[in-house]
Amino acid sequence: MGDKKLQSVQVLLFSVIREQAGIDATTLHLDPGEAVSAGALLERLAATYPAIRPMLPLVRIAVNREYVPREHIVRAGDEVALITPVSGG
Amino acid sequence: MTGISNDSVWITIQEMPLSLEEVSEFLRVEEAGGVDIFLGTTRRWTETEEKAAGGKTVRRETVLLEYECYKPMALKEMHRLVDEAFARWPVRRACLLHRIGEVSLREISVIAGVAAPHRADAFTACRYLIDTLKTRAPIWKKEHFVDGNARWVEGDSAPEPFSSPDTM
Repeated sequence: MGDKKLQSVQVLLFSVIREQAGIDATTLHLDPGEAVSAGALLERLAATYPAIRPMLPLVRIAVNREYVPREHIVRAGDEVALITPVSGG
Repeated sequence: MTGISNDSVWITIQEMPLSLEEVSEFLRVEEAGGVDIFLGTTRRWTETEEKAAGGKTVRRETVLLEYECYKPMALKEMHRLVDEAFARWPVRRACLLHRIGEVSLREISVIAGVAAPHRADAFTACRYLIDTLKTRAPIWKKEHFVDGNARWVEGDSAPEPFSSPDTM
């Protein structure tokens, strides 16, 4: 079980994209040694949840609670969050 | 992690109503002669130009706002903003408080406050806190209208040095 967790990435969704996907979190599995960019991970997610695809151009990605570029390589154990344009305040 | 507080910084995200009195008490220190406090509140009427209505101005009536956040990251960003304000201006105390959940009309959703020796720096630093919070902190609001409809507010994206490939 521990090995499985080491090869997976937790993805968090909030607000409008959470409602479109119908989930607030999901787990994506990586093959051993697989290197995936944050952008590619988004594509993989959109294949499963096509309703989110129109929003992807607006999404900023955070990995381990920091904004990252789409080229950023996601590693097993990372926490990835999809940040649609924020509207706090 | 629910909040960060030390002698000169107070940051929190909470469901409970925010207290202006506590903020005022926190900010009024002997080192500061200028205290600037910004309150964000729930507004009843919003006028927007609707493309669907041929560019006409439409007035919508809000009954409440609902806030959601990615709390650990939002707190981290809020702390970073306050650190930046301390680095750029002679800030003596600063606070950044956000409420989440349902916020009714006239109630306070956010408080940004700065105490500085003189007013110009207090105004500038306070404006920096609220303006940057609105582009960087992962917090979202949903407007609930009197007709029963609701929509997520699409806010400002930060300038994106991070996700633009040509800057990499």
